[in-house]
Amino acid sequence: MKLTKTDHYKAFSVPLLQENPISIQMLGICSALAVTVQMKTAIVMGLSLTFVLSFSNLTISLMRNVIPRNIRMIVELSVIASLVIVADEILRAFLYDISKQLSVFVGLIITNCIVMGRAETYALGHTPGLSFMDGLGNGAGYSSVLISVAFIRELLGSGKLLGYQVIPTMAYDLGYENMGFMLLAPAAFIIIGLLVWLQNWLTHDR
Amino acid sequence: MSSYVKSLIFALTTAVVCSFLLTAASAGLKGFQMENIDVDKKKNILMAVGLVNSGETYRKADILDIYGENIQSFRVSPEGEMLGLEQASATETSLPIYLYVKGSKIASYIIPINTTGLWGKIFGYLALKRDGSTITGFTVYKHSETPGLGGEIEKRWFQKNFEGKKILDKTGEFASISIAKGILPETFPQDKLPNFVDGISGATLTGKYLTTGLKNVLQAYEPVSIKFRTQQPIQIREK
Repeated sequence: MKLTKTDHYKAFSVPLLQENPISIQMLGICSALAVTVQMKTAIVMGLSLTFVLSFSNLTISLMRNVIPRNIRMIVELSVIASLVIVADEILRAFLYDISKQLSVFVGLIITNCIVMGRAETYALGHTPGLSFMDGLGNGAGYSSVLISVAFIRELLGSGKLLGYQVIPTMAYDLGYENMGFMLLAPAAFIIIGLLVWLQNWLTHDR
Repeated sequence: MSSYVKSLIFALTTAVVCSFLLTAASAGLKGFQMENIDVDKKKNILMAVGLVNSGETYRKADILDIYGENIQSFRVSPEGEMLGLEQASATETSLPIYLYVKGSKIASYIIPINTTGLWGKIFGYLALKRDGSTITGFTVYKHSETPGLGGEIEKRWFQKNFEGKKILDKTGEFASISIAKGILPETFPQDKLPNFVDGISGATLTGKYLTTGLKNVLQAYEPVSIKFRTQQPIQIREK
């Protein structure tokens, strides 16, 4: 059997494009607005969410047959919250500057609708392996949108990519100016809107 | 076993396992975090005197090097007497102070800011020139203000407003430094301009708290500032 035909591959690839959490399901938009001014913060945020999502899916799926139905959401939430705190502690130990920039947004992964949503709708009904791949896929789908938005915002807003100046000073001498609007939250809304339109236009049957 | 008891046991087990995990993560990483916090504080002190730029990234070792070469930390008594670090442990009322030593002269002194904001404590540094009045820099390294509103106090554009401002009014009296409500209007009296900085629109209360806090801190350090203004000799350690 080809790799692309396996269930695990599908669990990973479907949420990347066809069911992308941000551009199709419109979940987790709040953090996508806040941390996409620079690519560096977007990448770290994407990695943190992917970590939390895949391991919360894995843990919850492992426990899915023993979790009492009446307290399942509370259990899911404590698993997610613990993982978020661990992620936050790791960032503060090894990427202190970025964790300061991300401030509350790492903590807010707890309330990110994607994480709870996948736990409820997927992990409770699938095997640990599939759930883990689903977490990775959704995390990658979320990250890819975040990084694309951050790419556009950082390039147009401050003329940099990953903190390095890419627009030459010559361009500024000739009258080029950074778009200050790109640094504001509404810009992220507009870019996400355009990305959604682009994806629909590319995938829709015409 | 009833499902009720089962739920209870399951909840308890989850709680215990999670708390063990969190304790392990927190205790295991504490050393790294403390080191980062220490370096970050030193970086903020250096930023306040303009020895490092906020936009650039520095290696930990570089920060510690620059700090070691230029900054000396002291304690002062409430009357403004310089105490060594050794006597400091003896008195509870002594205040911490950092000196930026250039050559063998004190270029500026740095006061730690520890005050109340709207939602929690604000920690930072305020550096003053040796004339005892001109501010060379202001930084915030820890706060709990609302991101995007009061949280802007940690941003460069806000902190830059403090540079070159004075804590004395034009008659030479102590006036502290105040954060205005929003951007200072064009009609603002010219003679008061050195004692005011542009505020953050949407964060009037954070500004108010910070104004009061800075005033209290500066008041406490006023004896030290007077020493600098009247150019009384201050001993510094030999390197």
